[in-house]
Amino acid sequence: MAELRCSGLAKSYHGRAVLRDVDLEVPAGTLTAILGASGSGKTTLLRLIMGFIEADAGTITVGGETVAEAHCVHLASDKRAIGYVAQEGALFPHLTAGENVGFGLSRSGRRTGARIAEMLELVGLDGDYATRPSHELSGGEQRRVALARALAPRPRIVLLDEPFSGLDAALRAETREAVLQALGEEGTTALLVTHDQAEALSMGREVAVLREGRLAQRATPRALYRTPVDPDVAQFVGDAVLSEGHASFGMVRCALGQLAIANPGPEGPVAVMIRPEQIRLTWRSNTNGANGHSVTGTVLGHTYYGPDTVVRLSLGGSPELIIKARTFEQEVPGIGEPVELAVIGPVVVFPPQAGLTGHPRRGESRVHLHAS
Amino acid sequence: MSNTTVIASRRLDAPVAARSRRSLLGRTPGGLLLICVLVVAVVVLPVGVTIAQALDGGVSAAVRAIDASSARTLLLHSVLVAAVAAPLAGVLGVTTAWFIERTNLPARRMWTLLAVAPLTIPLFVTSYAWATLGTLLQGFLGAAGIIAVSYSPIVFLLAAVALRGMDPALEESARSLGLSARQTFFRVIFPQLRPALLGGMLLVVLDTLVEFDAFVALKYQTFTVHVYAQYELSFSTSGAAALSLFSILLCVVLLYAESRLRGGANYTRVSQGVRRPPTRYRLGRAAPLVLAGFALAATIGVGVPLGTLVYWFTQSSQAGLAGASANVRYLDPAALTSVALGVASALVALVFALPVAFLVVRHKGRLSTFLERATYLSFALPDLVAAIALAYAASHYVPGLYGSIALLVLAEAMLFVPFAIVALRATLGQIEPTLEDSARSLGLGPLRAFARVTVPLARPGLAAAGVLVFAFVLGDLGTAQVLLPPGLYTLGTEFQANAATVAFAAAAPFAAALVALSMLATYVLMTRFGRVRALGSS
Repeated sequence: MAELRCSGLAKSYHGRAVLRDVDLEVPAGTLTAILGASGSGKTTLLRLIMGFIEADAGTITVGGETVAEAHCVHLASDKRAIGYVAQEGALFPHLTAGENVGFGLSRSGRRTGARIAEMLELVGLDGDYATRPSHELSGGEQRRVALARALAPRPRIVLLDEPFSGLDAALRAETREAVLQALGEEGTTALLVTHDQAEALSMGREVAVLREGRLAQRATPRALYRTPVDPDVAQFVGDAVLSEGHASFGMVRCALGQLAIANPGPEGPVAVMIRPEQIRLTWRSNTNGANGHSVTGTVLGHTYYGPDTVVRLSLGGSPELIIKARTFEQEVPGIGEPVELAVIGPVVVFPPQAGLTGHPRRGESRVHLHAS
Repeated sequence: MSNTTVIASRRLDAPVAARSRRSLLGRTPGGLLLICVLVVAVVVLPVGVTIAQALDGGVSAAVRAIDASSARTLLLHSVLVAAVAAPLAGVLGVTTAWFIERTNLPARRMWTLLAVAPLTIPLFVTSYAWATLGTLLQGFLGAAGIIAVSYSPIVFLLAAVALRGMDPALEESARSLGLSARQTFFRVIFPQLRPALLGGMLLVVLDTLVEFDAFVALKYQTFTVHVYAQYELSFSTSGAAALSLFSILLCVVLLYAESRLRGGANYTRVSQGVRRPPTRYRLGRAAPLVLAGFALAATIGVGVPLGTLVYWFTQSSQAGLAGASANVRYLDPAALTSVALGVASALVALVFALPVAFLVVRHKGRLSTFLERATYLSFALPDLVAAIALAYAASHYVPGLYGSIALLVLAEAMLFVPFAIVALRATLGQIEPTLEDSARSLGLGPLRAFARVTVPLARPGLAAAGVLVFAFVLGDLGTAQVLLPPGLYTLGTEFQANAATVAFAAAAPFAAALVALSMLATYVLMTRFGRVRALGSS
């Protein structure tokens, strides 16, 4: 059952639509991540649900209760029992960590302090923290206290607005774990807003992609990554090699060969999306998986990331056909070396105009591959 | 997957118009709006009464009073002083703020104290002190100079807050792009200081146009002096009221002009992320010159009034203590009245100012700006005229209030509400709205969120605003002279009574008490203005 349900939400400012017809359901006890670039309407959606602003159209229900209906119902923020973790925590600077956690509790709850201690423990901070002034906490500790503060009054749902922004990678991962664990233990329904694909995919039971004020797709992380609805979403949730091809009978023919389709549907001319890690490379000094009739290319350069390496290649010696492949091998072919390419697993196809119509923007490495 | 974004084309990162905080704020709460409208209605009341009084004697009588050529000449005098003093105060305030906030000037705390002090020393004390130095400092030159020096702290305080709130990265970027310190100031800092400068200068101009006591002390004939004369000579309320139509009109025009000049700019910006201290410029060889400039300003604004005060004291001991000691017995009750009046007025002014300042900071928009600026109409009338209007309204509609000290408290509070709003805005603007949002999400209603989060964080601003009003009430004469109940006297009225008869030795103890109180006020202002509660302090 959905704990939070938004339907037909719309909001515009000065005639500019920021949200259009957003339908969203967050199942009880789970975390849904809203993934969107800056300006996509994430913050507006969050503020609508919180009740800080009112929608032009649509309804919001929490636990079956309608908390907002455009031009009709508007329950005040403090009556909605929705927890909120703001960016960078927004701890009250004039209070200690413990006073922050107890802020939303009743007077007696604040006095006994049992819930405060329980919440601090839940987020992995020991009791000494209760008396620490909030400005003495590190960035990660501040986020934990902010979560503890939001969870203490037992909200029906908690909204997390980019809660890990500004933390370094290691602390981010650690804080993320602590947050997921705390939410799980309390069994709280949560909605996380982020622009970070990795964060959305790793934390959400479901991920909803918000694009220019509309929900482009809502799916499990795996489904979103493997079968995005269009090339834009494909490129937003991860790296993608896009090509043109011709689909028939569940197979597509393109510059990278004859490939199986993960989402059979359109026939004829299509756009093909391949994840760079689906492309396997074989070359002279490495003979595994060579099958004799794969596509050939030449290595132009590589970028080393530690666990994986991204190799930039030109296909069939043509300088215009440039793609990227990701390999998890530590051994990589040298620059200028010829390689054979093979695609592992099914690929995704889109109707031809779906995403290849826009002008490529600066920094964008999408390539147009022509079916041979 | 976190470090493998290689081909990710951010198509979703579509260009979107700059998202302003304003557009993300919700609807203005009706209750808050209603309270603000009531506050404005109270503050504007004397203006309404005055207009009614002016038209009471018939339109032709009003036209006759206005038509007198002397009125027009004197109006020109007032405008001239304001036109010279305000830019001077602006330059002085901004320059002082820049040197204190952005250079390695030695003894910055002391200079801050000396830069703020002229504001809290009652203007009539400063004016009499200067007037006794010689005739050169009387008349136009003295008037413009003293007004500029005494009011420059307003600009200084606002500019210092703006400088502290600026992201140091802006200046660092400008320097890295090859701009000199001077170019950085004019091309990066100054545009951001414009709202503070304009707002400060507006206060200076409006206050100058209705100033009376200082000009009497400096023997400079202005419009207000003419209004007072009109009242005292003919006891004609409608004549004085008719003349006041001029200043009302002038006030409205100025408010409109400033709103057009300012555009949509804000006074204070909430900077995001960690605040780090700005890089300070080294004064190097310019240091002695700058220090000399600061010393000169301090001498004019603080040194002369204090020095004169000491001189008056020596005179009083030479003249024998008979005269002085006869007066000293009035010192305690006068001080008590002044302090009680100041504290009560400050509290009432805070009650008036807090909702308006909160509205204008949190719910930016045309309506809130209009309401805030409407409170500036308290500067539209000379104190005397406003006090008479208020007494008139009280005697007709709330007889219980007429002749009571409560009416005086109310009048003083109304008079200085704009200053309290300015001080509160400087602090409220620094408080992150997400803190209030978080409190709301934790189940607190708007009033409780305000009481448990906003007010505690804004405590320094509340102190600064209260003290500012307190200091101005100490330095106010016109209102007190009309509305002070019989048998009561303040430090100001006692000083004035003696100083007007050139009995400066007798006036000295009262001036000393005023200056001592004003120094206390200065300290509170310099440490609290535009600040939020220090992190972690309880």
